[in-house]
Amino acid sequence: MAVCTGCSLLCDDIEVTLESGRIARTKNLCRKGLGRFRSLYSERASPRADGSEVDVGDAISRAAEILSGAKRPLLFGWSNSTLEAQQAGIALARKLGGVIDDTSSFCQGPLMELVIRGQMPTGTLDDVRNFGDTLIYWGSDPTSSHPRHMSRFSYFPRGEKLQKGFEEDRTAFAVDVRESPTAKIVADGYFQIPPGGDAEFIEAILSVLDGKMPKVQDKKRMISFVTTLKKAKMGFIFPGLGLVYSLKDRLDLFSQLVARLNEGVPFRVIPMVGHYNMRGFNQTLFEQTGGINQVSFADGEARRGQENGIISALDSCDAALVVGSDPVSSLPAAFARKLAKIPVVVMDPHRNLTADLARVVIPTALSGLEAGGAALRMDGVRVELAPVVEGASPSDAEVLARIREVV
Amino acid sequence: MAELSVLVVTFRDIFQSEAQEAGRYGEEYRKASALILLDRGDADRAGIKDGSAVTVASDAGSVVVNAGVDQESHPGVAFMPNSPWSNQLVSGQVGPSKIPEFKRIEARLSSASGPVLKIEELLLGIVQG
Repeated sequence: MAVCTGCSLLCDDIEVTLESGRIARTKNLCRKGLGRFRSLYSERASPRADGSEVDVGDAISRAAEILSGAKRPLLFGWSNSTLEAQQAGIALARKLGGVIDDTSSFCQGPLMELVIRGQMPTGTLDDVRNFGDTLIYWGSDPTSSHPRHMSRFSYFPRGEKLQKGFEEDRTAFAVDVRESPTAKIVADGYFQIPPGGDAEFIEAILSVLDGKMPKVQDKKRMISFVTTLKKAKMGFIFPGLGLVYSLKDRLDLFSQLVARLNEGVPFRVIPMVGHYNMRGFNQTLFEQTGGINQVSFADGEARRGQENGIISALDSCDAALVVGSDPVSSLPAAFARKLAKIPVVVMDPHRNLTADLARVVIPTALSGLEAGGAALRMDGVRVELAPVVEGASPSDAEVLARIREVV
Repeated sequence: MAELSVLVVTFRDIFQSEAQEAGRYGEEYRKASALILLDRGDADRAGIKDGSAVTVASDAGSVVVNAGVDQESHPGVAFMPNSPWSNQLVSGQVGPSKIPEFKRIEARLSSASGPVLKIEELLLGIVQG
């Protein structure tokens, strides 16, 4: 069985048939996972330095030169790398006295931080399958982002205590601005809110919990919803970017809601992190430095601060190493322009926009398919990855170790 | 067409994710990304046909994408798959959280000022910008 690194579910039941060393057939992959497996054979990166094709060794030397010559290098990416590569990346940042950050910085970071610090009750996806009878997909659409979430863990499967599955034993809700495919599945459990309306929706739930009338259009429906939540044997909330981006500095309101629900029944939170090992990076950096992202090692000491998050750091960093990420695609153009102005080194299995403007490109193995290692699933469960095929490129961890040797 | 003001919310789409994995330089990824989904009433009022190209402009920038007309009703709100096309519209101004406004972009739609750009052309705009 192979593990799919297409998202943070890390599905470990993928059957692969090889023919002449190439993947010929697979079973159990979702559409997104199939895309990840097929990407083995499309748009692969090739080694480049200063506009010329070079060999990997020369690309690594040039990368080391750029990074050691920088006063404040930014080491960014990491959510699509193994735990081993993340550890090697943190060691390199430490040696360079640089700044290290990952995509969680403008993604699920604020919520993940609460989970990792133990300030938000959480559980595993196996708990969800076995005991999760009341589910809220909030600002998330697993059908699109984590396609097997509902079938392997949360809604459709039978569980230890939920032998009748979604037909009788599970009740699911979706809170979203868009009637997503997930919202359509939960049907009557869908609450449509206006963009930015999450805080108001939380306040409405809190009102009902306080025995007051909620300030929403359909008061009866809201009261019935909260009554269901109060009867949960084991509730789970799956917050997506919709909730995090909407609340931003008001995440305490969400914490307040979860705490209130837990006064009556157990309610757990599993953030719907996108990339396969974002949680791994956050946890690894937290264990080593006390910060889940946005850490600087200047002057040999680890310091956490917003100035080290990519959004702010692009104003102060004078070079960047980007590993397994494409910030030129994923950042607003205003920030991508800032990245385009400094020397960039890219380590990635594929060609992407950041690689196209980079001064150095080092092709790497596609983890889980061409390189092994380990990763943390969205719920923190460790999953071992074993290579399925032989690739031509070194792993992230190997390249990072080689750069570290020469900087 | 008449100008139309909408609040743009970005989202993730599984077909777009698959296309991105297969190749972000491909036509399939461009089709799945350079897209704005409109409420039917909004589209009718502004005279926007399903599949027609429109310019979407915010205070941060503008981009030409294809319009789609949704089955679901969401007047005043438009949805765009999160991509380098939608990122042309996201402001570079951030609040105390330092998280950009990916999901609340005030935008105006008008007749297309040109073709839907290829991803390489968007990159050129970023490099030259």
